[in-house]
Amino acid sequence: MNPFLPNCDRTMQGAQIRCLILACGNSLRGDDGAGPWLATWAENCFRAEPAVRVLARQQWTPELAEEIAHAESVLFVDCAVNVHPGKLQLVAVTPPANAPALSAHHLGPAELLDLSRSLYDSLPRSALLLTIGAGSLELSEQFSDAVQAALPAACRLVEEAVGRLLAGAAPADPPHCA
Amino acid sequence: MSQTITIDPVTRLEGHGKITIHLNSQGEVENAHFHVTQVRGFERFCEGRPYYEMPGLMARICGICPVSHLIASAKACEAVMSVRIPHTAAQLRRMLNLAQMVQSHALSFFYLSSPDLLLGMDADPASRHLFGVVAAKPELGRAGVALRRFGQSIIELLAEKRIHPGWVVPGGVTEPLPAAKRDEILAMLPAAYDNVKLALDAYKQIAGQFKEEIEVFANFPSLYMSLINEDESIEFTDGEVRLIDADGHVLDDGITVNTFTEVIGEAVEPYSYTKFAYYKPLGYPQGSYRVGPLARLNIVKSMGTPLAEKELAEFKQLATGPVQGSFHYHHARLVEILYGIEKIEQILNDPLILDKHVRATAGVNRLEGAGYAEAPRGTLMHNYKVDENGKMLWANLIIATGQNNNAMNKGVLQVAQHYVRDGKFTEGILNRVEAVVRTFDPCLSCSSHALGQMPLALSLVSASGEVVDKVVRG
Repeated sequence: MNPFLPNCDRTMQGAQIRCLILACGNSLRGDDGAGPWLATWAENCFRAEPAVRVLARQQWTPELAEEIAHAESVLFVDCAVNVHPGKLQLVAVTPPANAPALSAHHLGPAELLDLSRSLYDSLPRSALLLTIGAGSLELSEQFSDAVQAALPAACRLVEEAVGRLLAGAAPADPPHCA
Repeated sequence: MSQTITIDPVTRLEGHGKITIHLNSQGEVENAHFHVTQVRGFERFCEGRPYYEMPGLMARICGICPVSHLIASAKACEAVMSVRIPHTAAQLRRMLNLAQMVQSHALSFFYLSSPDLLLGMDADPASRHLFGVVAAKPELGRAGVALRRFGQSIIELLAEKRIHPGWVVPGGVTEPLPAAKRDEILAMLPAAYDNVKLALDAYKQIAGQFKEEIEVFANFPSLYMSLINEDESIEFTDGEVRLIDADGHVLDDGITVNTFTEVIGEAVEPYSYTKFAYYKPLGYPQGSYRVGPLARLNIVKSMGTPLAEKELAEFKQLATGPVQGSFHYHHARLVEILYGIEKIEQILNDPLILDKHVRATAGVNRLEGAGYAEAPRGTLMHNYKVDENGKMLWANLIIATGQNNNAMNKGVLQVAQHYVRDGKFTEGILNRVEAVVRTFDPCLSCSSHALGQMPLALSLVSASGEVVDKVVRG
C-alpha cells in the first residue's frame, strides 16, 4: 500500500482504476470541446466497465496528480493546435527528464505524471495522449467540419487505446496517426 | 536622469498585472504603481437580462471564487424579491462558501506563495515553483494538493461543478443535501485537519526567516473592513460590515447592504482598470482600507470554533493592536483554512442540515437590491437595479481586490524603496516586489474582467519618462 496516497478516496468507489481517461477542453470554445465530447462518449461506452474512470476538466490542474497516482494507466485526451484540423495522434507519454516549470492553473500530461511520481511515488504503468487537431477555438458550441468528421475515428481510437491500456500494452508502443 | 523599472507580467497571481517603479535622477525610488491591465465588462453584459439569471452570469467572472459571486448575487436578488431563505439553505451556502475559501487559500499559500516561503525569495526562479516545493518538502506539497482538492470536492458534491457551479439560486439552493453526501464530506475531515496542522506548523517554523520582508511588505497603519457576526465572531456569508481604524477602534459598524455605498466610494486612477475603494467620510486616499484574511482576523474577537480560536489568540499576539504587516496575510490564510474545516464540520452536524425545505420563492417586490459575502480575498458586494418585470437595468460590483488596491500600491512602493538601490535590481528584488502583491492574493480577473490570457510585467522609468529597463515574465 502506498503510504502517500489517501486511503479514503471518494472517486475510487471501491473499484481498482485500471484505466483513467482524462480529457481537457472547454465546450464553449469550438474544437477545444472535442476532449470533453470524447469523455462523454467514453463514459457511455465504458459504462459497464468499473475499471475505467472518465474525468473531463477545462484545465488539467495539480490536484489531478492524485487521480493519476491511483490509476494503473492513463489516456489523456485533448485537442492540439500544432497539427492539421481533424488529424488524430496517439502517442506514449512519459514524465520529463528534468523538473518542468509549473503553472498553478494548467499542466500538461508529462508534468502531471511527474507530479504524481514526485508527490505520491506512483506512476501509471502506461500513459497515452490522444490529440485531435483543432480547426477553430473561437467562441462556439459547434465543432469545425474537420473535427466533426474526425470524431467517429477518434471514438474508435479511444476504444482501441483503452483496450491496449487494459491489456497492459507497453508505453513505448509506436505513435498512431489517423 | 530618472528611470522606470517595469515588471510585466507579475507572476503567480490570479490575473494580469504590471508594476512600474519610477526612479529619480539619483536612482532612488520615487514612486511605484501596480497596474491592472484587464478590463471587466460584466456590469454591462448583464443589462437587459432577467435578474434571476444574475447568479449564473456573475459566477462566470472568475474560476477561483465563483461561489462568492454566486452567493453575493443570489443575496442581491433576494433583496429584490424581499425573501428570507430557509435556515438549511443558508447553512448549505455557508458550507459552499467555506469550501471555496479553503481551496482558494490553499492555492494561494501552497501553489503561489510557498515557493518563496519554503525555497527563499532569492532561490533560483527555475525551481521556485510547486515542483521545487514538492522536491524540497513533499509532505507540504501533498498537503497543499489535498487541501485544494478537499475544498473543490465539497463544491463539486454540493453544486455538481467545481468551477462555475450552479445550485445557489435566488431564494436558496436547488437541491437539499442527501445523507450520503454529508457522510462523504465528514469522511474527508480528518485528513484535512492533519494537512492544515502540518502547514501551520511549517509556516510558524519558517516565518522567522523573513523578518526583513515582514518589516517592509506593505507594513503600515491602515483601516480594515470585513463582515462580522453580532457576537463579534468571523462570518463569511451573512452578518454586517465593520470598519476599524489603524489602532483597532471601531470606525463604523453595522454597515448593511443598503448603506454600503453611502459609506464606501470608488476612486479611479489613470494607470489601472481596477477601482480604488475608500471610506467616504475620510475621503480618498486617506479612507483606503484593507480587506481579506488579515482584515478579518484583525477585526473579529473570536473565530467561533475551538482550534481556530487558539490560533486567533496566537495571531493577535503578533502586535498590540491590529497586525499591520501584509506578510501576515499568509498566516491569516492558514488560520482561516482551519476555521473553514471546523465550521464545515459544525454545519454538517446541524440537525436540520438534511432538511428538504431549501428554497423560498417570490417575484419582484423591490426595484433595487444588494448583497454581500466574504470572498477569500475580502468583502464582495453586488448591487442591482431592475424594472418592474425584473429586467436588469444596472449593476455594480465592489470587489475585494479593488478594496486592497491602494494598500497593494503602497506596498509595492515600500518594498521598492527598501530594496532597489542606485536604480539596480536583482532577480531576488524583482521577486520581492511581486511577492508583496502576492501576499494580498489579488484576483485580477474578478476585479476587472478581461478576455484572454492573464500575465504581469516590471519597468524602470527615468525622470524624463523613458523606460530604461523592463522585465517580462510569463
